[in-house]
Amino acid sequence: MGDSETHALRGVTLDIRRGEYLSIMGPSGSGKSTFFNMIGGLDKPTSGKVYIDQVDIAQLDPYELAWLRCRKVGYVFQTFNLIQVMSCIENVMLPMAFAGKDSEEAREAAMRILERVGLAERALHKPAEMSGGQQQRVAVARALANAPDILLADEPTANLDLKTGHEIIELFCRLRDELGVTIISATHDLKMLKASDRICWIDDGRLERVSIPAELNIDVENVE
Amino acid sequence: MTNPSSPPVFQSSNPPIFHPSSLPVFQSSTLPPFQSSPLLFRRAFRISLQGIRIRLGRSMVTLSGVVLGIAFLMSTVTTQFINRAVAQEREARQQLNLMANVVRTQIGAIAGKTLAVAVCGALSPVESDLLDFLRAAQPAGLRIHGPAPEAPPSAFARGASAVLLLGDAPQCPVPLATLTEGMITRLVIDSRTDRACEPDATVRRETIFNRQVDDQREREAHRAAGERFRTLWIVLISLAVTVIGVANALLMSVTERFREIGTMKCLGALSSFIRRLFLIESALIGLAGSVLGVLAGTLMTMGVYGCIYGFALVFGTIAYGALALAGVAATLAGAVLAVLAALYPAHFASRMVPAAALRSTV
Repeated sequence: MGDSETHALRGVTLDIRRGEYLSIMGPSGSGKSTFFNMIGGLDKPTSGKVYIDQVDIAQLDPYELAWLRCRKVGYVFQTFNLIQVMSCIENVMLPMAFAGKDSEEAREAAMRILERVGLAERALHKPAEMSGGQQQRVAVARALANAPDILLADEPTANLDLKTGHEIIELFCRLRDELGVTIISATHDLKMLKASDRICWIDDGRLERVSIPAELNIDVENVE
Repeated sequence: MTNPSSPPVFQSSNPPIFHPSSLPVFQSSTLPPFQSSPLLFRRAFRISLQGIRIRLGRSMVTLSGVVLGIAFLMSTVTTQFINRAVAQEREARQQLNLMANVVRTQIGAIAGKTLAVAVCGALSPVESDLLDFLRAAQPAGLRIHGPAPEAPPSAFARGASAVLLLGDAPQCPVPLATLTEGMITRLVIDSRTDRACEPDATVRRETIFNRQVDDQREREAHRAAGERFRTLWIVLISLAVTVIGVANALLMSVTERFREIGTMKCLGALSSFIRRLFLIESALIGLAGSVLGVLAGTLMTMGVYGCIYGFALVFGTIAYGALALAGVAATLAGAVLAVLAALYPAHFASRMVPAAALRSTV
């Protein structure tokens, strides 16, 4: 459960283990976004298979895909993408509403998640009243609303300064350790690469290599 | 994997727990019902309402489009109501004058004379007015029989200057000779030209209506039919413009909210939820705009005609019940048209792929 195996982009095969923190690296146009969208069920592959929880998501109908995105996968975006007209807690409760959860019970659950990301006291604030780092933490809380197995993050620190970016990375590590969430993140942030368990390098539609952060120093020098 | 030409394969040290070839563990039929709760409808309603509030300026422009369209529709309807009421009132007055003139021509001044009125069948409003007019003219006596199917008592008209035959019965229940028994000058004034009467050589029968009124009425009817067609055409065009305006505004709203829609889809929203958002928003705008449009159109038209015809005539004669019904119908029509206008934009929005949420520039 919670693991996924991906055959994507020109015969690439990759297993992602449960509770793993995986970073995806690659220049723009490398197919990184496609790869990322495939894993998250945002796009269907034209051929090949993407398995999440033993299910080939290419075979799913729109209703099942919505169910998957609602319950199995949580999304964190580069630009936070909070619904501006809703307060923090309403943002967190939105995926719960999609999952058909009762309002009172959902509110309590949302409060607990906001506490986990350290923003319980700001639950009633609107996104516009918060800093970028806080907004991103609310977005992470929203992604966790239905206790997903997988957290997908698309360059989550790209719009944040060093310090708040670091907070998000720490939050991801904590979630992985405490909740056993699988974290898959597309990133260019070296600090994020260092924190992850494995790094996939994608170039020209191929999986060039998979490395671990211990090898990173050499890689960083190459990149720089 | 044994094929040397196949691309590199990366396997984690731990084998996956599942087996890829095993059957899917969830399918539509086995999924718990989700996204059907009234909670979600309330949520969609609130998001729509907040959407209207946050984009108040554009919502107001869309709204004013609906207001204008419905106000025009309602103004046309009210005009017809007023014209009909005023025309009826005028015709009633004209007919009353005509009747009174016939009576006066036949017997001279009414004051001091005795009149017998035989009512067969139901009285028309004009005939009732005529009775009121006769009473007010201070005759020496006004004997009224009926409305009853049986014949008036014998010598009913003794000493009367004339017998008035009123009501809508197609046939006079008694011969004219019997009706006018005891009169010096046997005169019957009938309100209908086509009433079947048993004639008598000694009785003079005058009828009140003449061809002129019928001709005039026919010309009026022709003119009104042409007018109605033109009005209908203009109203249809104005409603079409309203629909197109609303559709255009909503399409803009959809393009503006690409990322928001994509985000909701990433969070698990079904296409039907997205569609519902836009349909609710449009219905709300349509309803509010229609109510305002009905009020504005009706009141303004009544005000303008009040200045032309006089407020007492306009406000006193209009059929309020029917007008209210027309108002409700126009409100519903406005809301339905707004929802129709939203169908394409809502469909367009619901087809958005969730990946659009990931694009940083939209």
